[in-house]
Amino acid sequence: MDKCIACGLCAQKCPKKVDDEFNMGLSKRKAIYIKYGQSVPLKYAIDPENCIYLTRGKCRACEKFCPTGAINFDDKEEIIQLNVGAIITAPGFKPFDPSILDSYAYDKIPDVVTSLEYERLLSAGGPYMGHLVRPSDEQEPKKIAWIQCVGSRDTNKCSNEFCSSVCCMYAIKQALVTKEHLSGDTELKQSIFYMDIRTHGKEFERYYEDAKEKGVEFVRARPHTLEPGKDNRGVIIRYVDEDGNVINDEYDMVVLSVGLEAPKGAKDLSNIMGFDLDEYNFAKTSSFNTVQTSKKGIYVTGAFGGPKDIPQAVTEASTAAAEAAKLLSKARGTLTKKKTYPKEIDVTCEKPRIGVIICSCGINISNVVDVKELVEFAKTLPNVEYVENTMFSCSTDTQYLIIEKIKEYNLNRLVVAACTPRTHEPLFQETLRDAGLNEFLVEMANIRNQNSWVHQNDPKAATEKAKDQIKMAIAKATLNSPLKRLKIKVNQKALVIGGGVSGIVSALTLANLGYECILIEKHSKLGGNAWNLETTYKKEKIRPWLNAQINRVENHPKIEVLKNTELKEVTGTIGNFEAKVQSGDEIRNIGFGAAIVCVGATEYKPTEYLYGEDPRVLTSFEFEAKLREKIIAPEKINSVVFIQCVGSRDKERPYCSRVCCTHTMEKAIRLKEKNPDLQVFVLYRDIRTYGTREKLYKKARDLGVIFIRYTLSNKPEVRLENGDLVVLTTDPIIKLPVKIHADYLCLASAIIPTNNIEISDLFKLSKNTDGFINEAHPKLRPVDATTDGVFLAGLCNYPKSIDESIAQAEAAAGRASIILSKDYMELDAIKSFVSDNCDGCGLCVDVCPYSALSIVEIQDQDGTIKKRISADPALCKGCGLCEATCPKGGILVHGFTLDQIEAQIQTLLAN
Amino acid sequence: MAENFEPVIVGFLCNWCAYAGADLAGVSRLQYPPNMRPIRVMCSGMVPPESVIQALKLGADGVMVMG
Amino acid sequence: MIKFKVIEIANTFGVHRNTVTNWIKRGVLKAKPVVGRKYVISENDFIAFAEQNHIPRRTLEEFIKKNKIQKTEFKLTKEDQGFSNHPQEPSPKNKYRETIMNTSRPVGSVLVLGGGIAGIQAVLDLADSGYFVHLVERSSGIGGVMAQLDKTFPTNDCAM
Repeated sequence: MDKCIACGLCAQKCPKKVDDEFNMGLSKRKAIYIKYGQSVPLKYAIDPENCIYLTRGKCRACEKFCPTGAINFDDKEEIIQLNVGAIITAPGFKPFDPSILDSYAYDKIPDVVTSLEYERLLSAGGPYMGHLVRPSDEQEPKKIAWIQCVGSRDTNKCSNEFCSSVCCMYAIKQALVTKEHLSGDTELKQSIFYMDIRTHGKEFERYYEDAKEKGVEFVRARPHTLEPGKDNRGVIIRYVDEDGNVINDEYDMVVLSVGLEAPKGAKDLSNIMGFDLDEYNFAKTSSFNTVQTSKKGIYVTGAFGGPKDIPQAVTEASTAAAEAAKLLSKARGTLTKKKTYPKEIDVTCEKPRIGVIICSCGINISNVVDVKELVEFAKTLPNVEYVENTMFSCSTDTQYLIIEKIKEYNLNRLVVAACTPRTHEPLFQETLRDAGLNEFLVEMANIRNQNSWVHQNDPKAATEKAKDQIKMAIAKATLNSPLKRLKIKVNQKALVIGGGVSGIVSALTLANLGYECILIEKHSKLGGNAWNLETTYKKEKIRPWLNAQINRVENHPKIEVLKNTELKEVTGTIGNFEAKVQSGDEIRNIGFGAAIVCVGATEYKPTEYLYGEDPRVLTSFEFEAKLREKIIAPEKINSVVFIQCVGSRDKERPYCSRVCCTHTMEKAIRLKEKNPDLQVFVLYRDIRTYGTREKLYKKARDLGVIFIRYTLSNKPEVRLENGDLVVLTTDPIIKLPVKIHADYLCLASAIIPTNNIEISDLFKLSKNTDGFINEAHPKLRPVDATTDGVFLAGLCNYPKSIDESIAQAEAAAGRASIILSKDYMELDAIKSFVSDNCDGCGLCVDVCPYSALSIVEIQDQDGTIKKRISADPALCKGCGLCEATCPKGGILVHGFTLDQIEAQIQTLLAN
Repeated sequence: MAENFEPVIVGFLCNWCAYAGADLAGVSRLQYPPNMRPIRVMCSGMVPPESVIQALKLGADGVMVMG
Repeated sequence: MIKFKVIEIANTFGVHRNTVTNWIKRGVLKAKPVVGRKYVISENDFIAFAEQNHIPRRTLEEFIKKNKIQKTEFKLTKEDQGFSNHPQEPSPKNKYRETIMNTSRPVGSVLVLGGGIAGIQAVLDLADSGYFVHLVERSSGIGGVMAQLDKTFPTNDCAM
């Protein structure tokens, strides 16, 4: 495997073609293959079930053509025994196989595809190179339909009762991306057939509204039959519309939005490891510890714990990592190795002595570019002491060769003409360190990705270009100077802001990982919004758990709890923050290395539906409180009405508050269980009981809770009639107005971010238009804030349920602990620095996007005070806007100085 | 303009987008004329206006700043 | 007796470390494994082998001087004694028992099953905070389903 350089010759020569599972069988691959172009590791693998040699004993074509001798047919499956302290299972999910639904004829009609197949059809790396065509005749489809909930929310044709959580959003995304693919065509139509649209994530609702505006059609119907069009091209959808009419509509293509099932082998895995599965074969977990399986030391993350989207899976991955780290905190660092390097040789005063390695990359470069000519050319260049052409400059033996030659020729610079520095520069930097040279003395000339691969038809011009590239790299390398990575000492202590569930869990996790932390809370009591909740959606009681957690936080030796305390001022950067906190009149300074922001959110106080005017109209929290205090006795009342989306999903707050549907289901079920005769009505727009929460929705319906849908333009009306509370709405099924006499009206009111303004100013965090604090990347860094060293958990980020807040809090603590686990932090060395030319004019200060520059006064040798710029390397990202702005060369970026840029231009254009 | 005119173009490529894009063009084997000479920079905003002028003065037929 | 690491021999002889491992496996270099990924070989065997390979006398002496085991150091540990007749590694089962017996500390490594986006994130977090991680993936590349997605909401970034 070490020898494979992913040149692809083997796959080219392999005579055996098989269906490519990565492209969902829509295209072919060879029996020796890489999964996909950007595959990690980028190594070709032999598929033993299809390899002709391994199945029939003859062929070995790949072996003959492999330039590095990397093919090893003797490689056998082997059992490896590992001794580990914890196991994290992340086997993912299995997309639902729709072939069992005979009325959708998935395996009979070619133009019915699954959503994952459609994803590959759209992809530039897919079977049609991103040119969207339908499978039957490879023509561009104009009219495409998506059918939602295929294999989800269905106990009739399959036994997947749960909602798969992600399909609504991906169908909308696919519809919009389709529009981009076929833009300019006015005949296009995208229709999504749905039951409820579930866009409960951050910015999801806005995306849904945007899709509607852009002309994506949303049809509330569950099509029952799909039939092939003429000549088996296209699809006829038969469905019943909301008025009860049977409609046959022809589409060019139908995408089945298939759900997420437990992965294949889930049962085996649970048997081998001895943990329990839930009724859907997902790993069983509790709301208070969403990654812990029923067996200690074994954790679950990703869709194996239940269907979830990417941000949630990534969050829970960090949660699982934090849990495992907590378990093993005593053994931290015992099995990791630290590499040592020889002492660095000081080369600053030496004349440049450059070694040049010219890579053939198998034949990737040498097939197009004349490498021999390059070698001869490089030898003629100034300061070049040694030139070598290697077959693979990235191979291990070349690294030994480089080290040897550096010593032999006393080289102090290295130029590697090979592939891109974006992937391989770190390797050569490492080699230089091994040779005792500063890692920044290497320069690469990208003669593969930006030359031989893109000029395959013009070898002569490619060789000329390669010469120029080498010339320029040498000119730049001549001016390279050794750079030091700045090390900053980390203050191994954390600050947690906000004492709600997220804050409590963050602090406890950090403390159990072995780090000291300070928890500050604005109010006199810890616990926050959780005191207003009764049970989780899995029916666990919240209050006893909360009490226990608060007790643990307040008595933990590593946690200091400051109540009635507010954050006033923050300075410093990742690893080294300073804050002023105020408790009463007392102001205190706190130093910390990382912060977790969990300032929470509040319940919206409605202005509609007679709220505040009639005592029987209550918010969700108030209703819960009255139930708990037994002021509302379910046995003694006749009817309760819930109105959903109060203050959510409207013009003013165009987002979904995510938790209200589930909370309403819980309450409705409790009411019905206490008093089956009690009439419970839920007036809703879309029911969003995502994931396994769907179970509650089904149970509520089974118990006889009546659900009546309303629209934004036709909201229910609440009025008083002779002292009676009356709710008026229109039933969309019977199409008649309905009048309900209610004993109580419970408003599922929105979650609003009221605490975010100050905190985001203090830490310079960005917020979205709704006021929720943004994550650094919506998919890949869902718990990191936009400021390095600051992490997010709970409602301040977006509305979420208690189990999701707990998971995010643990993840945030885990992410913060990565910083705190280090004594010193090494920063990149590509940073701005101030030269003697600086006269403190301050032009650069305004352009710096990271506020890394400031004007300071310094005293000259003769005592005069001068103004100069000071650059904070911890904040600088090396973008160099300052360098381009400064009229005097007073501020420069290491590795990209004006001299270095000029030298490259000059060398290039010298003749 | 002569029929076989081969311009010399200096390209400033932002490390994070244009340079990465040019790498990907290579991975995808997209063919383009070999006249541009890439210079990697950390951000297209880093390119000093003087350098653009310098390149033109020294005989470059075009300068591309990509980011 | 001389105690050495594979890389030390590799550097002295100017060969790749895998070559040295192969020599030992094939019995060309008559060394036996001991704890800490080290090997021992008798001085005579080593000199004979080095002379076959034309290693300069001076380099050889330096190497022997550096790697010779002092009398006091060369006490066979319990583990070495138990397996001194078998040059193979101690069986994993017993090795495990040994660690359990020797320490009440947990093992500082984690096994992650599945190289999709969730597995990858868990691995990165653990490795970044000082744990050794084994990532096991069924197929020949990591990335999972996310790698198959064309674009992702909201940035429409390529999922890669």
